[in-house]
Amino acid sequence: MTSTETTPVREAPIQTGDLLLSIENLHARVEENEILRGVSLRIRAGEIHALMGRNGSGKSTLSKVIAGHPAYTVTAGSISYRGQDLLALSPEDRARSGVFLGFQYPVEIPGVSNLEFLRVSCNARRQHRGQEELDTFAFEDHVRETMAIVRMDPAFLERSVNEGFSGGEKKRNEVLQMALLEPLVAILDETDSGLDIDALRIVANGVKQLALPTTATLLITHYQRLLDAITPDFVHVMAEGRILRTGGKDLAMALEQRGYDWIDGTDGTDGSDTPQP
Amino acid sequence: MSNATQSQPWLETLLQVLARRSGQPDTQRGTAQRASTRDWRWPTHRTEAWRFTDLGCLTQLDPTRLHTRTATPPWPDAAVSSRHVSLQLDGRGHWLSPQGEPPTWPHGLVPLPNEEITPGQVAHTVIPSGTLPLGAQLNGVTPGPSLGLQVRGPDPVHLALAIQVEQAQAWLAPHLLLVLQPGARLCLSWHVAATAQAAVMPVVETRLGLGAQLEEVTMAWGCPGATFLNSSFINQSPRSVYRRTNVAWGWGLSRDEPFIRQSQGQAETHLYSLAVARGQSLLDTHSTVYFDGPAGQLRQRHQALADDRGHSVFNGRVVVPRVAQQTDAGQLSRNLLLSTRARIDTKPQLEIVADNVQCTHGATVSCLQDDELFYLQSRGIGRDQASRLLQRGFCEDILQRLPKAALAWPSLQRLLEVPVPDQP
Repeated sequence: MTSTETTPVREAPIQTGDLLLSIENLHARVEENEILRGVSLRIRAGEIHALMGRNGSGKSTLSKVIAGHPAYTVTAGSISYRGQDLLALSPEDRARSGVFLGFQYPVEIPGVSNLEFLRVSCNARRQHRGQEELDTFAFEDHVRETMAIVRMDPAFLERSVNEGFSGGEKKRNEVLQMALLEPLVAILDETDSGLDIDALRIVANGVKQLALPTTATLLITHYQRLLDAITPDFVHVMAEGRILRTGGKDLAMALEQRGYDWIDGTDGTDGSDTPQP
Repeated sequence: MSNATQSQPWLETLLQVLARRSGQPDTQRGTAQRASTRDWRWPTHRTEAWRFTDLGCLTQLDPTRLHTRTATPPWPDAAVSSRHVSLQLDGRGHWLSPQGEPPTWPHGLVPLPNEEITPGQVAHTVIPSGTLPLGAQLNGVTPGPSLGLQVRGPDPVHLALAIQVEQAQAWLAPHLLLVLQPGARLCLSWHVAATAQAAVMPVVETRLGLGAQLEEVTMAWGCPGATFLNSSFINQSPRSVYRRTNVAWGWGLSRDEPFIRQSQGQAETHLYSLAVARGQSLLDTHSTVYFDGPAGQLRQRHQALADDRGHSVFNGRVVVPRVAQQTDAGQLSRNLLLSTRARIDTKPQLEIVADNVQCTHGATVSCLQDDELFYLQSRGIGRDQASRLLQRGFCEDILQRLPKAALAWPSLQRLLEVPVPDQP
């Protein structure tokens, strides 16, 4: 997997319902530990998926494998993104082609200006799409306008990337990046964690605004409260590195009431009364 | 081959050449210094202070071909006030305006007569029993006039000095004496650039009166064959403030040796330095701060980035005798090691006898963080560009302390566009 120079391309038009991301029997490990043990998932344009599961079930690993984190090794299976082998692309090429990962714990990068970082990122994506790069002034206008989506204070542009940001500010910054990069597939890893009620509403509204009929969203979350604000089309439950159950919004509500034991049968039931999509 | 083995014949030739030149019009400077050259001990690797630092870059110069020719520095456009003076060193050792005229001194800056500019007059109060560092010794035997200035008044005066070397075998050893009267304030900036095999070895001696403030910025940019030996001696009176920011990159060899003495304590010293060592660059910082009284403060941060076969050396000595109770000193050395062949040697050296003090130190050596790289890559930024952004971010911690006028220098702009080219 190597990084390549960006070749400007016009992204082919997308229709609602087009298959954007197809994961088949994905196995991945970090060092010697196998984390993903046969994940299969299909995501189409216009869909919002929620991925739930216990801590350690493999949700974040799946998101990082999709984004290309070098610490994870795919040992079997495939990921196809718009018909292209995603696993053959470097992390930056995946991002440039429209795959976005909103981090659970956004990294602080001292000394790197948030504004400069956003501008370079945005232009990398624009260049890939065959759009003209934005100069400093044009980008600043653009980013200030976009910040309104997450009601973010422009003062954060002058600071280093995520440095000293509160948990909520970091998550707003993630959604801001998502807005600037205009991804086709956005994976948001516990974007709701660490947010107070107001911040959750703002972030959720931002994500909703950015979820278009031509894009897809995968929300990784532990809590129903995010799904109250953003209604998913599908809810998946992961355990031990695979998706055990898929359902609709009702599945998330049932999980909220009954916990994960009910899904994997460790509460003595077989989970067979799960509402099916 | 040790430094000494390499250098003894070279040194003897150098001293002979300089002695011949002493027949030229000279100040008292060279004569006294040359008299003591027989006591010189050329540094060897067995000397702790020179354990990691090879002088091969310096001794590659041909003593018989040395000259003092300089070039015109690329002064950036900058607003100049009536309290600002910019000077460049000419080939005869004179400080002239960018237009080539003798300086017009702003109010608050008064040149000292030659007879009051005795080399070593501050240095020997800062390290009374110690041997002068090599750069100061070599500076001392070099013919050429010194510049001495008295600074008066609480309104800040800005003094910008530039040395541009573009011809091989240049040997430049300026000497600057600054006497800040009580309450006086001076902003001093140095821009030294060498694009040819040469040696630049400035000595700055500064006496800070009660409550005086000196902000000193040095940007030293060299090429692989160039040597920079920078020696500073600062004597601080109580309530004085000394802030020093030093940025060095590109030199074959750079040795920065600030010596600061808070003669009665109760003063503030802030030392910030950045060394960017790429190619086969060897950048060495040896600092010493003495507290001779109570309640002195030190804030020191040294950052180094080493790539390719670059080598950074840091030794931060802090001396806190019994008389220096309630000293508050903090020292941090942060290092970024980017290549398996690059090298970092860093050593705090705190000598504390006083028992009621707060002295901290820390040193870190790390490489670029995978999580930071991945975060940037996940936003479409290529790995190389991500690496450059992170390196620049690392440097920014020191660079942000530079005044805007310093940032306007073209050489610094090139540093900011990491990676730094080996050839300026």
